Amino acid sequence: MDLKTGLVGSSSSISRELDLVIAGGGPAALAAALYAARYDIDHIVLESYQPGGQAALTAVIENYPGIKTITGGDIVATMKEQAESWGAVFDMSSLISADPFGDRIQIKADSSTYMTRNLIIATGAAPAKLGVPGEDKFYGRGVSYCATCDAPFFRDARVLVVGGGDSAVKEALHLSEFVSELVLIHRRDKFRAEPYLAQKLLSCGNCSVLWNTTLKEIKGDEGVEGAVLNTPEGEREMKFDGIFMYVGRKPATEPFSNLIELNDNGTVRTHNIVHTSRENVFAAGDVTDNDLRQIVTAVSDGARAASAVFDLLQ
Amino acid sequence: MAVKHIKGNEIEGAASATEKLSLIDFSAAWCGPCKMLTPVLDKVSDDLDDKVSFYHLDVDESPDASSKFGIRGVPTMIVFHKGEEIDRMVGFRDRNALQTQLKNLADSKLV
Repeated sequence: MDLKTGLVGSSSSISRELDLVIAGGGPAALAAALYAARYDIDHIVLESYQPGGQAALTAVIENYPGIKTITGGDIVATMKEQAESWGAVFDMSSLISADPFGDRIQIKADSSTYMTRNLIIATGAAPAKLGVPGEDKFYGRGVSYCATCDAPFFRDARVLVVGGGDSAVKEALHLSEFVSELVLIHRRDKFRAEPYLAQKLLSCGNCSVLWNTTLKEIKGDEGVEGAVLNTPEGEREMKFDGIFMYVGRKPATEPFSNLIELNDNGTVRTHNIVHTSRENVFAAGDVTDNDLRQIVTAVSDGARAASAVFDLLQ
Repeated sequence: MAVKHIKGNEIEGAASATEKLSLIDFSAAWCGPCKMLTPVLDKVSDDLDDKVSFYHLDVDESPDASSKFGIRGVPTMIVFHKGEEIDRMVGFRDRNALQTQLKNLADSKLV
């Protein structure tokens, strides 16, 4: 082993020994990185899985205590800067697999292999697809999962938003500032979003809500031109220039299926908030089965996970 | 090789400048995933210097070009070969995914 770099093996199969690998790049991973650096744990953050996480796709964050209002991009950029200032180490490599190797874990990334005593999984979740005809065909041509990224392309347009949770309503409110008309459809008869957001949407001048309604098909030629909706009164075709989907999230846990127990929906099965079925593997943020998925809970998970690793290393 | 910044009127030239593939990244300063993609493109442009030329276009600086290419979301990366669009990727890609996709395209198009 090269004592200076900690690298072992030949140059073609470099393996580095570490006390901790943090997989992910969103708030949970960044908080874990900050705490790991401050605990002086020998670590690396494999951030290629969704750098910035879902938070970076959020237009405005108003419920992070201590900060009245901030954009998602700014809050994660500041978190990363803060972690780096304490010595957090980042690697842009993609995590390919994670397998048990004795009492350690072998992490294969595209550029190197890491042998680590502990792992924090904070790979987050990607927007789920609805799976309706036209969804894939028109992705980037009118179908979007990120109003923060794409709203300016729909100035004075007529758009459809699908979903009824916090993300759907928050992003619909952001979109409403750009579009001429916004229709939100929700499969239930009331919002799951927090009442403050729901009320704001219901009083938005250019927004309307269709309850108990689902999306059946997206129509168009080169781009989105309309949608077929299933309403309580029957099938209805409406014209839209864009369709924004917020129908849940798919946890990024595929590389870890050989390592720890996952739930049927793909989330990491946790106990005591961040502990998994393996003693030296922890999970934090949206990738877990914890019920509240917010930035404030993600950073709490990240801090707890790093602290648990510190305790194990003593 | 670094990613070269271009404007709308330079797209045609960039798309057909060499025998290599050309990737044009349509992005915006206000877009989070675009910011995250920037260091990835820097790395991949070094990795695939012999196969792909990399360009960046700001959709706010060149709105007509974005409209001409039907851009309705950012980041959108369009890959050209000899001036013809051969692939389009919407959203963030990590280094491995982008490199693999571009290598496959290069293998199928470059002799």
